Amino acid sequence: MTIKFPDIDYAAIAPLLIMFGVAALGVLVEAFVPKRARHLTQLVLALAGLVAALVVLVTQAETRVVTAGGAIAVDGPALFLQGSIIVLAIMAVLLIGERSLEKGGPFVAQAAITVGSEDDRRQAARADGATEVYPLATFAIFGMMLFVSANDLLTMFIALEVLSLPLYLMCALARRRRLVSQEAALKYFMLGAYASAFFLFGVALVYGFTASVQAAPGRMAGGVDFATIHAAATQSPANRALLFGGLAMIAIGLLFKAAAAPFHVWTPDVYQGAPTAVTGFMAACTKVAAFGALLRVLYVAFDGARWDFTPVLGAIAILTMLVGAVLSVTQTDLKRLLAYSSIANAGYLLVGVLAGVREGISSTMFYLVAYGFTVIAAFAVVTLVRDADGEATHLSRWAGLGRRSPVFAGVFTFILLAFAGIPLTSGFISKFAVFGAALDGGQTWLVIAGVITSMVLAFPYLRVVVMMWLSEPGESTPTIAVPGALTAAALVIGVAATLVLGVAPAPLLNLSDTAGQFIR
Amino acid sequence: MTLSPYAPIVGLFALAAFFALFSVASARIAGPRRYNRAKLDAYECGIEPSPQPVGGGRFPIKFYLTAMLFIVFDIEIIFLYPWAVSFDQLGLFGFVEMVMFIGTVFIAYAYVWRRGGLDWD
Amino acid sequence: MTTPAVYLAQDPTLADFGHDPWWISLIKVVAAFVFAVLATLLGVWFERRVVGFMQVRPGPNQVGPFGLLQTLADGLKMAFKEDILPKGADKVVYFFAPTISVICAVTALAVIPFGPMVSMFGHQTPLQVTDVSVAVLVILAASSMGIYGIVLGGWASGSTYPLLGGLRSSAQMISYEVAMGLSIVAVFMTAGTMSTSGIVAAQAGSDRSASLGGFEFFAPGWYAILLLPSFIIYFISAVGETNRAPFDLPEAESELVAGFMTEYSSLKFALFMLAEYVNMVTVSAVATTLFLGGWRAPWPISIWDGANSGWFGLIWFFAKVILLVFVFVWLRGTLPRLRYDQFMRLGWRVLLPINLVWILALAGIRVLQKENSDAVRWGIIGGALLVILLITLAWPDRRKQPPRPLQEQVNARPQGSFPLPPMDLVVPPSPRARRGVAQRQPANVGGGAPDVVDTTSTEEKED
Repeated sequence: MTIKFPDIDYAAIAPLLIMFGVAALGVLVEAFVPKRARHLTQLVLALAGLVAALVVLVTQAETRVVTAGGAIAVDGPALFLQGSIIVLAIMAVLLIGERSLEKGGPFVAQAAITVGSEDDRRQAARADGATEVYPLATFAIFGMMLFVSANDLLTMFIALEVLSLPLYLMCALARRRRLVSQEAALKYFMLGAYASAFFLFGVALVYGFTASVQAAPGRMAGGVDFATIHAAATQSPANRALLFGGLAMIAIGLLFKAAAAPFHVWTPDVYQGAPTAVTGFMAACTKVAAFGALLRVLYVAFDGARWDFTPVLGAIAILTMLVGAVLSVTQTDLKRLLAYSSIANAGYLLVGVLAGVREGISSTMFYLVAYGFTVIAAFAVVTLVRDADGEATHLSRWAGLGRRSPVFAGVFTFILLAFAGIPLTSGFISKFAVFGAALDGGQTWLVIAGVITSMVLAFPYLRVVVMMWLSEPGESTPTIAVPGALTAAALVIGVAATLVLGVAPAPLLNLSDTAGQFIR
Repeated sequence: MTLSPYAPIVGLFALAAFFALFSVASARIAGPRRYNRAKLDAYECGIEPSPQPVGGGRFPIKFYLTAMLFIVFDIEIIFLYPWAVSFDQLGLFGFVEMVMFIGTVFIAYAYVWRRGGLDWD
Repeated sequence: MTTPAVYLAQDPTLADFGHDPWWISLIKVVAAFVFAVLATLLGVWFERRVVGFMQVRPGPNQVGPFGLLQTLADGLKMAFKEDILPKGADKVVYFFAPTISVICAVTALAVIPFGPMVSMFGHQTPLQVTDVSVAVLVILAASSMGIYGIVLGGWASGSTYPLLGGLRSSAQMISYEVAMGLSIVAVFMTAGTMSTSGIVAAQAGSDRSASLGGFEFFAPGWYAILLLPSFIIYFISAVGETNRAPFDLPEAESELVAGFMTEYSSLKFALFMLAEYVNMVTVSAVATTLFLGGWRAPWPISIWDGANSGWFGLIWFFAKVILLVFVFVWLRGTLPRLRYDQFMRLGWRVLLPINLVWILALAGIRVLQKENSDAVRWGIIGGALLVILLITLAWPDRRKQPPRPLQEQVNARPQGSFPLPPMDLVVPPSPRARRGVAQRQPANVGGGAPDVVDTTSTEEKED
């Protein structure tokens, strides 16, 4: 018996390996570095690893290869999305590392302690937080990077778990409002496990489909790599129930991560309960990963079934935009409002995904990057508005903030305008690109829905703007904390990127356009 | 008629099951029944047995931790078995891969050790 | 190889299984079951006699010749005892738990090779119930399923001691199952198969590594010698896995009455005992098969060519098993019980890392032997040195932390703790104790030699 070893192009997957190595090193740091030095070591390690991975990724920019036995595809979209995950993750890690706003940072050491117990009170007073959040974050980043480059459904599932499990844990680590944080983690975990099960069941059905199609003598048996699925799906056999069932379940698993309606119900609670830095991380990086994977699944594997899934996913996109836009009008908590706005944005992204043309891929990728920068900046501002109980996220508390601190109110106004899609911000360019691609692809109905919901969605943003500037600051108006160097850096990067991408989007548009070609 | 090599395992299983169930059932018939309320109480040192909550009650979290560690290492073992059986065919490639894998699990092991996950008290 | 090819041909291979007519399979199944029951009956007797011998007392010697039928009498007695169903018990689970233990213990015997090919009623058939390509996995599966019997039995009793005993035993057994599962990886690596008959044949095959350093002396290919660390770890974890002394913590009399079987009586109790002894025999048989050359004759006898043929195999097999069971009993007669935390520490912190390092070292050596390129060799050696260096550097400090001063410990107590008595409290000697000492004093003076009196008085002064 001879065994054929897979060829592994180590250079092409070097960014992945670097992230995994950094995560493993982070665990060792937790084990062996003295407690006092841990935070700094971890922060430097995580940032250095991210930068190193980015540098290696840039040197690999021309790579187009399927490697590791067909498990990983390193192509244009994979490299572009991996790069954007790394850049956004650098901002998120900067936010996570901020310790000047709160004694001991925004995380607790032991998330499982019963809320309100003696131990819990002692923990709240302790000055040291969980530095485990760094290895968790780097593991999640590794999972996301693998997620967007997975070339078969099983690798994709592994990546999904690798990115999800650390996120569940990170949600439970908030130093303030412990009960809400624990609730968020549990809800996210329960629903996420459910979605993962859907995904896995879908994989099984798709495997059954490919096996039934290729059962002809002399043909290979079924498989779950994208090339096999594509070959089977384009043969258009008589019975495609397994294909549709499998695709539907896989899509549920992915749309759950992307927070599309009706699989969005976890989003507001989790965004609200999780530590704000982690929320920013999830809102930006998880979204990139989820849509990256969705793009790959729909364009590479199930391209042959495009005419069958587009109406269904289109309906989901419209529903997502509607739910996000309408419900964000009724929100009274800023983190929840941003959560519903993130749901609505998932709808716009879906419009880009469903365009079905090459511009769809590149515009979706552009949208993901632009939105990621803006949303992390938004959550960075949320961490700054504080009172004695921590962050003041209730909308009414933000009234009059413009009088008290015009700079930050101005920055936040700019961010909100970007969300609303006002010209000269990245939000306008990205929506324009996505809707343009959808028009090219003949999905006019989606564009109409998108434009209408965008107008609805502008209302809650503008309401916040009005509240900040046109109200008098009262007794309960919180102060705006002076950001530490890390938060300031993240905020500056985010705002600057939002502005630059709004004024001069051409370089990134070109980059995403050249990268927008999958290999099979 | 010949049998699958797995069939005798099932046969032995069935024979053992028959014997065990027969024993358990016959003990009800063969043994005497002398009712005594105290005899049916839980065996304990005090006069009144401590009440048992429904469903077995709660027990120390250490047991859960041990169970999770067991899962981690049992899965590692499951990956080691096929590698070990075809070790000669896998050669250097298999060795290097396995060193990576065991090394990765070892990192987690070192973390658990240092954080007191292996202390029992 | 001293054995001629004609005898080697008697080595059953995987292809020899699955060809028996159904009635031969049936005979083998029944024989294996009878072996399990007989092994228990004789095993209990054996244990009691040997422990008796070690403790300088006769042990059971009344019922039957040499007391051989003592266990049978005990078993029959148990059948006529009242079968108690405790009030708090979960009736269904309580009923089925002992059967799970027994079934799993017995099923593992299905893949143990008792001997070579023999002629049975005119059929050439291996002396083994059956063998499959994953036979050792069958054994492991059966032994881990057996844990359910104990856990569920403890849980379903609806009582505190059995619950704790059941939990303890589950934690203990899964901890030692890890060590056990890892220890046989080296065997698979060397033998290249998981079938039990294949492993026995592979051990016979590696006999020929005979000439060492120019001397021509015989080295048996037993994996107990080739893979000594694996064998030691396997045996230690086998003791832990079967809940035998000194690892019999789930049924520690001094702490938990009888552990998970506290509430069991009558034949249900007997079934748990049966399962325990069958398990002991099974792990001994597995150790024999995997490490001690199976049914093959030990070295001096194996010079005689006929020793490995036909039904003779049974003799060597049983001799080895009995030897191992004797070691089990010997351990019980000699060693005190471990404390639970020490026991878990042994499993997780000693056996597990040693095991993994040993597997990697063995794999590295074997790759070294096969690879011809110098770069790979130096790579492996350099890697090994690097790992050793890293482990030495990162090894946790053995120095004890100086104990914190008492006052600091008191201050560190959380708010609302129980009040402490003053630290310098001296309890005055109770008048009754003083009176007792005074009464004893004259007796010592009167009865003992003068030096005895002296020691007592110095002791008292020190007090």
